[in-house]
Amino acid sequence: MTHLKRKEVTFFGKITAGITHEIKNVLAIIQQSSGLMEDILDVTENGAFPHKDKFLKSLNRIHRQIQRGIDVTTRLNRFAHNPDHCPASLDLNEATEQMVLLASRFARLKNVVLESSPLDPPLIIRSDPVSFEMALFESIEILLNAIDSGGKITLSSRKIHDNFVVGVSYEHTVLPEEESLAKIFSSERWASLQEIMTYLGGTAKMLDQTPEILLYLPEFIK
Amino acid sequence: MDRMKILLVDDEHEFVTTLGERLELRNMNVSIAMDGESALGFIENDPPQVVVLDLMMPGLSGLKVLEKIKAMDPKIQVILLTGHGATKDGIRGMQLGAFDYLIKPIDIDELIIKLNEAAKKMG
Repeated sequence: MTHLKRKEVTFFGKITAGITHEIKNVLAIIQQSSGLMEDILDVTENGAFPHKDKFLKSLNRIHRQIQRGIDVTTRLNRFAHNPDHCPASLDLNEATEQMVLLASRFARLKNVVLESSPLDPPLIIRSDPVSFEMALFESIEILLNAIDSGGKITLSSRKIHDNFVVGVSYEHTVLPEEESLAKIFSSERWASLQEIMTYLGGTAKMLDQTPEILLYLPEFIK
Repeated sequence: MDRMKILLVDDEHEFVTTLGERLELRNMNVSIAMDGESALGFIENDPPQVVVLDLMMPGLSGLKVLEKIKAMDPKIQVILLTGHGATKDGIRGMQLGAFDYLIKPIDIDELIIKLNEAAKKMG
């Protein structure tokens, strides 16, 4: 990544991280305000508040959505901090879990469930966090573009001999036709994935029977 | 039994006043300060048992306020509030004598457990 590109990415990260703190402050106020309503209902005698159950149900829904908001902003905040250090130590399990949460919406638009299957112990590499997350995202998008609708994409990481490997696989009762899988290799996204993997010192391969994209990564980026 | 005396320090007015009301409902004696300087003035006049202190505030930073509180009265217990990505500051705060730190947005039950533990330590 060029010096200017690095500065641009850091700038975006800094602004995004700052905004996530602001969103969290908003969530914290909603959380405490709805909590206060619940506290007041708790000390209200039974029967004194005619719609108590409906209110409690509604407050519960607010709490669940606050928690959802907290989870999303926490992930976004971590993502925004990715450019802070490069190279940085990355746990592949953690990084794939993070990507699942960040990219779920894109998968949902195609009725695809996005999952990660983390393995113990942590798989630590030293790499460029932003480019690594980009490689994961590109892989997900390549598969999403090749399929019609439905099914499941799973992100998994493992160590094979000296290679650190992240697999992005697709499962469905109806697999994409060979023709659409073949198109992947001539797509712009596949070329972009190859470019990112070359920068990371690794390679990307595709197992078209499954189908699964395998990202081979070195332990240390050069 | 005496009500636990708490000072909440946070520049987010609506957050800190609502949290204060919730703690009052739990029979705690709550005071509020919106910045580090007024918190220190408050402590000088009417020292609390526990201070709940936000680390990210305009003016005096939370860590600076913590240092000053500990210099004024090391027995006062301080619970820090940090944001995600700022756990290093929370750990640094504990090295400076903070009782513990919580990540915002906080869960009231978790805060109450910490407040009780901190008050017990204060004696």
